[in-house]
Order: sequence, then C-alpha cells, then structure tokens
Amino acid sequence: MTRTSLRLGTLAAAAALVLTACGESAEPPAETSPTEGNDDATTEELSPEIIIGSTNEPSTLERNRGGTSGVRQTMTRNVYESLGGIDVDGEIYPALAEDWSISEDGLTYTFDLREDVTFHDGTPFTSADVVWSLSEIIAEESGSARRGDLLVMEEITAVDEHTVEIQLSEPSRSLIFNIASETIVKDGDLELTADNGTGPYRFVEWVQGSFLTLERYDDYWGEPALNEGVTFEFFTDTTALNNALATGRLDLVIAQDSPDQLAQFEDNPDFVVTEGTSTTKQLWAFNNSIEPFGDTRVRQALYRAIDREAILDAVWAGRGQLIGSMVPPADPWYVDLAGVHAYDPDSARELLEEAGVENLSITVDYIAGDVTEIVAQQLQSDLAAIDVTLNLNPIDSAVWYERIYTNHDFETTIQSHVNPRDVLWYANPDFYWGYDSADFQELVARAEAASSDDEQVDLLRAANELLAEDAASAWLYLVPQIRVAAAGVSGFSENQATEAFYVAEIVKES
Amino acid sequence: MLRYASQRLVVLLVSLVLASVLIFVILRWLPGDSAGGTLGVGATSDQLEELRRQLGTDRPAAEQYSEWIGGLVRGDAGDSFLSRAPVAELIAARLPVTLPLSLAAFALSVLISLPIGVLAAVRRRKPSGALISIASQLGVAVPIFWVGVILIAIFALNLGWLPPGGFPRQGWQAPGEAIRALILPALTIAIAMSAVMIRYIRSATLDVLDQDYIRTARALGYSRWQALARHGLRNAAVPVVAILGIELATSMLGAVVVEAVFDLPGVGSLLLSSVVGRDLAVVQTLVLAITATVLVINLGVDLAQRVIDPRLRTTVVTR
Repeated sequence: MTRTSLRLGTLAAAAALVLTACGESAEPPAETSPTEGNDDATTEELSPEIIIGSTNEPSTLERNRGGTSGVRQTMTRNVYESLGGIDVDGEIYPALAEDWSISEDGLTYTFDLREDVTFHDGTPFTSADVVWSLSEIIAEESGSARRGDLLVMEEITAVDEHTVEIQLSEPSRSLIFNIASETIVKDGDLELTADNGTGPYRFVEWVQGSFLTLERYDDYWGEPALNEGVTFEFFTDTTALNNALATGRLDLVIAQDSPDQLAQFEDNPDFVVTEGTSTTKQLWAFNNSIEPFGDTRVRQALYRAIDREAILDAVWAGRGQLIGSMVPPADPWYVDLAGVHAYDPDSARELLEEAGVENLSITVDYIAGDVTEIVAQQLQSDLAAIDVTLNLNPIDSAVWYERIYTNHDFETTIQSHVNPRDVLWYANPDFYWGYDSADFQELVARAEAASSDDEQVDLLRAANELLAEDAASAWLYLVPQIRVAAAGVSGFSENQATEAFYVAEIVKES
Repeated sequence: MLRYASQRLVVLLVSLVLASVLIFVILRWLPGDSAGGTLGVGATSDQLEELRRQLGTDRPAAEQYSEWIGGLVRGDAGDSFLSRAPVAELIAARLPVTLPLSLAAFALSVLISLPIGVLAAVRRRKPSGALISIASQLGVAVPIFWVGVILIAIFALNLGWLPPGGFPRQGWQAPGEAIRALILPALTIAIAMSAVMIRYIRSATLDVLDQDYIRTARALGYSRWQALARHGLRNAAVPVVAILGIELATSMLGAVVVEAVFDLPGVGSLLLSSVVGRDLAVVQTLVLAITATVLVINLGVDLAQRVIDPRLRTTVVTR
C-alpha cells in the first residue's frame, strides 16, 4: 500500500463526513389544503399530466410518521382519504364518512360510512377498514404525531358494514379534527404499505430522490380528477427547482421558499405567482425551563426588542403576516395578537432592568439556511441595541432533533412549525420549549372537555391570549404561501391550511 | 508480478476492514438523530424509543457493527433507516447516473488535459505556455459548483441548448435525453479536474524534457516534439498514470457536489441526503463502497505503473 492510496481512502471517508457540516436547510416544509374548484373544465376535456415541483420529498411512504410531511403532502386526500376531510379554510367536511353524531355526554361518536367506495385494488371499503386504520394509529409502535391525542379512543367498534362507533375515555373536542388528519387504508395493510387507497388517484411509482407519480383512478366515488395524473418532481436545491420552472419542465411549484428568486417569475407573463396564507409559524423559541427564560419579564423584553416588521421585510420583502401567538388565521380561535409585544426597545430595556438581568449573553441554535440566516442576524442586531449579546450557532436538522427536541439542551432556537392547531403543544410541559403554565394547561383541558364548539373556541381564545401575553416564545411571523405556476395552469388553492396538497382540480390549458 | 499483486490484495482487504471500523465509529460519534427526523416535531420520547428499538440503534455498537459487516459478507447491506428500502437497491438505483457521469467526466478531462499539459511543457517559455499555466491555476482555485452554475447560466438558461438539470424519468430508456442531461455536469467535473491534471502533466513532461536522453536525441537532430514522442512519453507516463488514478477517484467525489447543483438522482445526492437525514445504514455502506473503489483504483495504478516501467519491477519488496 502506497501512502497515496491510504490517504485517499481516508479522504473519501472524510469528504463524506465533512458534508454533515454543510447540511441542507431542512426547515419543516409548508403544507397544503384543498383547491378552489375550476368550474370551466369538465371531465370531457381532461388536461394531460401535471408536473409539480417540490422540495419536500417524503423520506419514507409510511403515512403515520410525523416527520415525513412529504408523504402527507403528496398522498393524503389524493391517494388516501380520511373519514372527514379538512378544506381550504380549515373546516372539516364529510369524506369517507357521510355523517357523524356525538352523544350528549361527548363520549360516543358514531360515523356513517359512504357505501359506494372502493379501494384501488377493487375491494369495497367497509367499517372493518376504519377500525383497523384507527387502531393502527394508536398502536404502541405507531409513529403518528397525533397518537397521544387519539389515545382517548377507548374502543373502536364496527356496528355494521357501514357504521363505526368510537367510545372515548373522556370528552375530546379535538377528536374529529384529529381523526380527520388520519388516513384510512384497507384492513390489514400496514402503515408501510403505500399502494392502496380510496382517493381520486392511484399511486404508481416513487423513485427516491427523483419523483413520485400518481395516476387518475377511474372508479373514484367522488368527482373524478380533472387531470390524467400528477408527477411530483423533488429537488434539494431551490436554484435547481427554479431553473426547472423557468425552462418549462414544471407546471407548478407548491412552495417558493427562496424569496430572492421570485423576481424572475413576478414580472414574466409566462408565470403566475400567488400569495396565500400558510400555517407555518416562524418561531424564536426560548427554553422556558432554564434561567433567565423562566422569568416572564425576560421573555417579554426579548420579544419587544425585535423589530418583526423589519425581519419580515428583509426575508420576504413584506409578504407574509405578523403574528403574536402560535395560532394562524386559519384556526377557529385566531385572535390578532401581533400588537401585544410590539417593537419597543425602551420598554425591553426596562423589563430587563426590572428582572435584574445585566450583560445578558445568549445563544441561538438554528438550522442553517438562507432564510434562517437572515432572521438570526436581524435578531442579533436588534438585541445588540438593548445590550444583549446573541451568539449564532448554525446546526443541521439531525442535530436539532437530537440536542434540542429530544434532549432540551439549548437556550433559544429558531424553528418553523407547520402543523395545524399545534398551539395545544404549549399545554405539554415536557415539550422541548418547556413552557409550564398551570393556567394555560387548565384552559386547554377545559376546552377539550367543552360541551360545544363555541365554548371550545372561547376557551382556546383565552388560552391564546394568555400565551401571547406570557411571551412563551417569540412568534416572528407567519410564512407566506407562495406558489408559482406556468401561465395557463389553474385549479390549485392559494392557501395552505392542512398538510395535504390536493391536486385533483389542477388543469392546464393545452 | 503475480506474487506482488496477491500481496497487494491482502493489504487492500485489511485496509477495507480498518476503514469499515473507522467509518462506523466516526458515524456513531457524530451528533444527530435519524429517529427524530423521521417522527418529526410532535413525537413523544416513548415513540422515539420505540422507533430506535425497531431500527436496532438502541443496541450496543459492537453488535450493530458485527451485524453490518456480517450482512455485507452475506451480500446484504441492510435497510435504510428512513425509507426502509434495502440499501443495496437504493445504491443500485443511483449507479446508472453516477457511473456514466464520472466516467464521462474522467474521459473528457483526459482528452482536455493530456494534449494541453504536454503543450504547456513544450512551450514553457512561450506566451501560450504561460497562458495555459495561468488558466489552469485559476481553474484550480475556482470551486466546482461555481463552474456548474456558470455553465447552467450560459448553456441552459441563456442559450437553451441543454437542460439546466434533472434526469429523465424514464432513465436510460430515453437515451438521448439521458445523455443531454449528463453533458453539462460531466463538463463541469472535467473542467475542474483538467485544471489540476494539466499542471501535473506539464511538470511530469518538464521533468522528462530535462533528461539527458532528450538532449542526446535533440543533438542527433530530432525536434523537441519528436524526441518527446520517441523517448519521453513513456517515461512521463509513470507519474501521469498515478495522477490519472487519483483523478478517477476525484471524478466520483466531484459527482457528489455536481449532482446537487444539477439535481441529478445519483449516488452523490443519495450520500448527501442520507448524511443530512443521518440515515447511517446508507451512509456507512456507501462510504465503504467509495473507499473500496478508491483502493481498487490505486491497486490498478500500481500494477499499471509496473507494466509501463520495467525498472519498478526489479525493486522487489524483500519481505
């Protein structure tokens, strides 16, 4: 063995390892929602295949793994359906269940299932499939993010072929929403199975690292898809994505997350740029369980020291929206709280003084990426103005999950949270940000046990206001949902209220 | 020669075993968690533990290592932590992109750098030689992805001659499209590699030009080119073959960078996404495979040098 070959061997290994240091920006991607109907197109004039560009590739086709929002974005509603669907406004509508009723005491839910539904392999859909799928989500080995919320389901029974009854151990106002977020597969299909659903599309092929193809299912029970099929092409690099769009390889880009590259499409008649709302909240989260962040005044001071308007301008050129708590406008308990801790460096200084904190020096861990880099630098300069030193520590997503999410080993972090209705996570004191407020927990618990939707909404509004006042985190802004389509492509929703991206109404003029 | 080759083969196997231990240990030592990324925000610690149990990452490192190597010996590289697909399948699916890409890049760079390198040596005192030297030095300094970005801007976005990236969905069943997709990326790697190779070939040729036998040949009335062709090239070939070997390995590593810029579903982008997602099952096998390839190339280089230059064969290893 010559010295060269030894060196090269280690070089190859080292080169691979060095790559960890420059990990991709892996912010949790945005999510989707149903589409505005396209009234002009009829089934007779089907458009050909639609090619959609996305940076959110599934890492696996396991439906019930929370981290793979890519699989929900592509498959939910299109290939797999739920008992109830969630529409573009975040409202629940009947899907595989035609109807449901809730008993007086809120403990028994009865679902009447649609009778004319078949799976893509031809098997009729029955109550056994529902019992199986829901049981699988709460099984011990389930990776579903909603498992904890759905554990209140004590007994799931098939009353007859087309009726399912669910007994709860305690009332849960969120049950319908949580169930609507979970998809139904054939009795016995493991969550690993990815080829048999009831939706308007049949899954054809996924070539990892490249594309995923769906084809229209002709025996669909509902309105058939208006296009023949859809292919999602996956990109890791946003420049490559935009190049593909610019040269006509793509019909639509679900989420444009590189604001700098928008200009080439905005004043170009060959493209249509839409801006809608998302449920993606950009957070500067504090570790409430360590000092000085346990002191409400310190959190409030840090929040007030930030010029969020300027950050939004710098990152998104004024697109998007300021928020003052975890709740986006799509949720029923949204209140505009953006002004609660408005930019006010003077009062920030006073609050710090009151708290007796001097020469504060804190660290922010964030997943390296263009947008977060800008946000981190703006935070740094805003805080310098009130004599707080912010040390920037870029990391990659795998480290974020281990150190911050799992081990809670951090001071502050920048993260975006995509899940709908995730304000409830602040009621869990063991969650990574360690917010532990008995008042907030009580309001959330009462909301879950509420006897009506109105009561639930009132209680969660109150919880929301409390959270904002407390500055449990610094909610920077709501990420705008920007999509770019080739001219002539229509039928997609501008807003993003759920995780699925419904594609059955997308058409392109040929 | 045979005895030498078999000795080298044993060394290669031992190196591979050592490399596998090193790769395994370093990857386990890296911070970061694939389970968290798979389950995402919202997962409870019970769920994380359950997933680690399913993946086997909660077991002792020695046990995981022996299972990995044992599997490899049986021809089973295990399953990806993230997608649960067999690692061998994942890698095999990417080879039809990366192999043609790096071989084309290598061939291109040889075609570019051999004549230019020799020319630079022969004309070392002329402006054209100096120009080549300056250009190649510049080329070494420029990052490879930047070359890619420039080529995309010119040939794809501006002139529209070639696609800016991507690989046809039908793969090599659409051979024309597949070749078009690989032209710019191969050229990108080749340009970066040529810059290095030109400098090596130039200095290897210069060494030869200064030798007595060239002077003698010139004295006998050969032109510089004739002297070089008759007597010099074979002598210059020994160091050049070593460089070719290194560059062949480099062309594979270049693919890692270039595949990302050109959105190509090759081994490089698989490695990158697996490292980002801490899919250690994929990373460890892939890095070991790359190491093995580099070791085999080096063995090939050593053997080739002995074939070219008989003098190397006489310096027998006395052990």
